[in-house]
Amino acid sequence: MIARRAAALLAYALLAFGLAAPAHAHKLNVFAAVEGAEVAVEAKFSNGKRPVRGVVMVKGDGDAPLLTMPLGPDGAARFALDSVDHASGLTIEVETGEAHRDYWILTPEDIARGRGE
Amino acid sequence: MNMKAVFVAMALSVGIAPAAQAHYGMIIPNDPMIAQEDGRSVSLSISFSHPFEGEGMTLETPASFTVTHEGETTDLLGALQNASLMASPGFTLEHALERPGTYVFQMTPQPYWEPAEDAFIIHYTKTYVTAFGDDEGWDAELGLKTEIVPLSKPFGLWAGNVFQGVVKIDGAPAPYAEVEVEFFNEGAGATAPDELMITQTVKADQNGVFTYAAPSAGWWGFAALSTAEETMAHEGVEKAVELGAVLWVRFEEWTGR
Repeated sequence: MIARRAAALLAYALLAFGLAAPAHAHKLNVFAAVEGAEVAVEAKFSNGKRPVRGVVMVKGDGDAPLLTMPLGPDGAARFALDSVDHASGLTIEVETGEAHRDYWILTPEDIARGRGE
Repeated sequence: MNMKAVFVAMALSVGIAPAAQAHYGMIIPNDPMIAQEDGRSVSLSISFSHPFEGEGMTLETPASFTVTHEGETTDLLGALQNASLMASPGFTLEHALERPGTYVFQMTPQPYWEPAEDAFIIHYTKTYVTAFGDDEGWDAELGLKTEIVPLSKPFGLWAGNVFQGVVKIDGAPAPYAEVEVEFFNEGAGATAPDELMITQTVKADQNGVFTYAAPSAGWWGFAALSTAEETMAHEGVEKAVELGAVLWVRFEEWTGR
């Protein structure tokens, strides 16, 4: 909690003094889609470059990840849809360090559409 | 309100067209920046109008209507739905957004015969929509007969920002091209103190680059006009063809003080 407050204060101070935090200059953008039996995850910085490393966390209803895997050097990752409980949808988080983090929510409708249902 | 403003307001209220009235092809999305929380599609209203006056005209089925995303162009003509917009025939379209990135929607209308100008009008109309936080492709050039290629990102602009674009004809910059600028006066909240302020005009520089600062939030249409080298026959007589490179850009309301 203290660390979170310190981070918030630092962000506020950066904004107050007009300094851009690095994460804002190259915002991370995450997208995921169901492709048949798999989920394809891709991450990209706002300048178009792909992150070469990072961590993918797949979450369901709770905060605890159902699955964790490394991001590939092409900024992508894949996992089997049925390897996780996806009944209520999935949240795919990618963190590439230095406060670069984003997520994509796969709704049950997204999943059904991706499976061709 | 001075006499001129009163006259313009009266002319608008009784549907008298001021001489400066400009035609615009229009493609207006429900939102030019679709976030994942907004859903997985964009809704478009497609019309032909005098946008400041909110006066619609009949838009015939276009010659083409496409979307370009990640360099791939898809024909959407068959997906257009008939609709009444500004009390005139137009179209709507619900388009699924499968992936992030910028989607460029483009319409080439049928040539429109304008008796008052003794000429045909063809406005190559487009707008840019970004999906899911990824703006890659925001400066895409489609290779149209004439088009405005954005130099400023054509979404995510604050009211008061400048917008810059380069006017191109046959792929080459058009030096000193005239660009008409008009506000889509939805809700008729804006009034013009002089008809010259319904449609404003800026000129591009020697490199075809023009600049405009929008004074308020909303949709602003830019129309770079030129005359085609070719003519078209009307009742057996060859007539001039006005070409328009039309781009619609939304400016967002500044949220600070």
